[in-house]
Amino acid sequence: MFAIETNSLSKIYSTSFGKKKVNALSDISLKISPGTIFGLLGPNGAGKTTFVKLLLGITYPTFGSGLLLNKPVSNYLVKKKVGYLPENHKYPPYLKGRDVLKFFGRLSGISGKELEVKIGELLNAVKLTEWGNVKVKAYSKGMMQRLGLAQALINDPELIFLDEPTDGVDPIGRKEIRDILIEQKSKSKTILLNSHLLSEVEMITDRVGILNKGKLLREGSVKELTEKKEEYKIKLVETEYNYGKYSDQNTLIAKNSDGSLSVKVNDVTSLNLLVDALRKDNILIKEIELQKSTLEEMFISLINESEKNSL
Amino acid sequence: MIKNVWLITLFTLREAMARKVFLFFAGISLIALLGLILVFSVVGIDTFVDIANQSGSKGVIREVVNSIQLIIINPLAGLCLLLAIFSSASFVPSMMEKGNIDLLLSKPISRDQLLLGKYFGGILVVFLNILFLVIGIWIIVSLKFAYWNYSFLYVSITITFAFAVLYSIIVLLGVATRGSILGMMIAYFIFILLSPLLYAYFVEFKSVIENDVLKAFLDGLYYIVPKTSELTGIITINLAAGKGVTEYQPVLTSLIFLILAIGFSIYLFRKKDF
Repeated sequence: MFAIETNSLSKIYSTSFGKKKVNALSDISLKISPGTIFGLLGPNGAGKTTFVKLLLGITYPTFGSGLLLNKPVSNYLVKKKVGYLPENHKYPPYLKGRDVLKFFGRLSGISGKELEVKIGELLNAVKLTEWGNVKVKAYSKGMMQRLGLAQALINDPELIFLDEPTDGVDPIGRKEIRDILIEQKSKSKTILLNSHLLSEVEMITDRVGILNKGKLLREGSVKELTEKKEEYKIKLVETEYNYGKYSDQNTLIAKNSDGSLSVKVNDVTSLNLLVDALRKDNILIKEIELQKSTLEEMFISLINESEKNSL
Repeated sequence: MIKNVWLITLFTLREAMARKVFLFFAGISLIALLGLILVFSVVGIDTFVDIANQSGSKGVIREVVNSIQLIIINPLAGLCLLLAIFSSASFVPSMMEKGNIDLLLSKPISRDQLLLGKYFGGILVVFLNILFLVIGIWIIVSLKFAYWNYSFLYVSITITFAFAVLYSIIVLLGVATRGSILGMMIAYFIFILLSPLLYAYFVEFKSVIENDVLKAFLDGLYYIVPKTSELTGIITINLAAGKGVTEYQPVLTSLIFLILAIGFSIYLFRKKDF
C-alpha cells in the first residue's frame, strides 16, 4: 500500500469562457511510500499546489485518479487521517490560537480531554504556549506558520501535506520546524512537502519530485538525483605532474587548485584505465570520490533544460 | 453529518458575534425593551389598562395587547432583517476565500455539510436576535396587561422564516459569484420593493389590469418571488392574533423557493474548484 498514489492525474483550467486552456498538471503518476518525506519542487506555477489540492478534493481532476491511504481522493472521510498546511492560510482574526486548534480539531473528529491535551502538546511543540490565548490577528507571519503546522498535526494524521511550511519563519524557527517534521517521520508519518527552499528539502526529504509547467520532470531519492554520473575527483599525493598526457577521447581531465584531478569518463573501464596509467607512472592515489551536485544545481539545470526543450 | 453541520453552525454564530452588527442589533433591542418599560411606567398607560380590563372581554384585552405588541415588533423586525441581510451576506463568500476554503475542505467534512452549516448558522443568529426581542416585548406587555398572548411568540418563527428565504438567495449568489454584493442587492430588492409591490398587485390591482400578457407575467412573478411581504405582514399578524396560518400559499411557495435555492447552491458548491 502507498500513502499517496496517483494515476495520470491531470488538471486543465479553462479561461476566457473556455477559449483558452491552461495545463496546470499533466499526467502525473506518482507513488509515495508510507513513512517517507517527499519533497515536491518546482518554480512558481509549476503545479505543486494544484497537485496537493487535487489530492485533497479542493480541486477536481480533469483526467486521472488518485488514492490517499488506499482510498479514493473523493472520499472525504479519508481526511480524518490527513493534515494540511496550505500556503497563505487564513484564520478568522477574532479567534485565539487555542480556539483555532480547537475548531479544526473538532472538525477532524477529536473532542474533549483528548483535544485539550493535544492542543497543549502542539502549542508547546511549535513554541506558542504563551500565545495560545492571544487573538491570531496579533500573530506575526512566522507565528501563523507555526500555528498552521500545529493545526495540520492536530488530528495526529498519518499523511501530512505542507505547502511552504517555513515561509516567513526565521532560521531558528525553520530548524525547529524541520525537527518536528523529522520527529513525525520517526513516527512513520508520511509527509509531502512543497517548498522553494531547496537546501531545506535536501536536508530532510527521502525522495523528491521536480515539476515544471505541470509536468513531472524527474523523481527519485536526493542521492540519485544529485549524483553526477561518471564524474570523479581523484586526490593524489603529488601535486606536480603532467596530467594532460592522461586525457584521451574517453577521459577528460582538469586539474584543481589543490592539485587534485577532476575526471569525466565515459564508463568505469575508462576510470580504471586512468588509475592504471597513474599507477604505472608511480603517482600515488589518496582518494577517488564520485562527484555530486547540490539539489539546487541539479534543479536549475533540469528546469533550464526543460525550458529549452519547450521552446 | 449532523455533528459537522452543527459545528459549522456554531462557528458561524461566533463569526456573527465577532461582527458587531448583530451585537449592535441586540443593543438596539435592549434599548427598545428598556424604552418600553420606561414608557409603561412613566406615561399614564394604567388608565388604558384599566379600561381594557374593565371591559371584561378577553377579546378586547387580547386585541389591545396584540396590537401593542405588533406595533412595537414590526419596525424592529424590519430593521433586524435589513441588518441581518447586510451582515450575513459575506458569510459564504468569506468562507470561500483562498486560504480559508482550502483548510475547511482538507478536513473530513463534505461540501454539503459545510454549506448547510453556514446557512443554518446565519438563520440561528437571526432567530436568536428576533427571539430576544419578541420574548422581551411579550413579557413586558403581558405583565402590564396581565394577559399572556402566547400566539405572539410565533412572530419569531415567521420573521426568521422570511429571513431564511432571503438568505437562501444570498447563499446561492454568494456561491455563484464568490461575492456578497449581488446577493445583498437582490435580497434588499425583493424585501423592500418587489415583494410588497407584487403583493399589492395581487390583492389590489390585479382586477384593474386588462392586458392579459402583463397579467400572466405578473402572476408568474408573484408565485415565483418569495413572499416576504406576506410572511412579515398578514401571516405574522394573523398568527400573533391566534388565528393560525390563514393562507398557506405564500408559505409554501416561499418554502419551495428556499429549497430550490439551497439545493442549487449545494449543486454549484459541489462542482466548484478552489
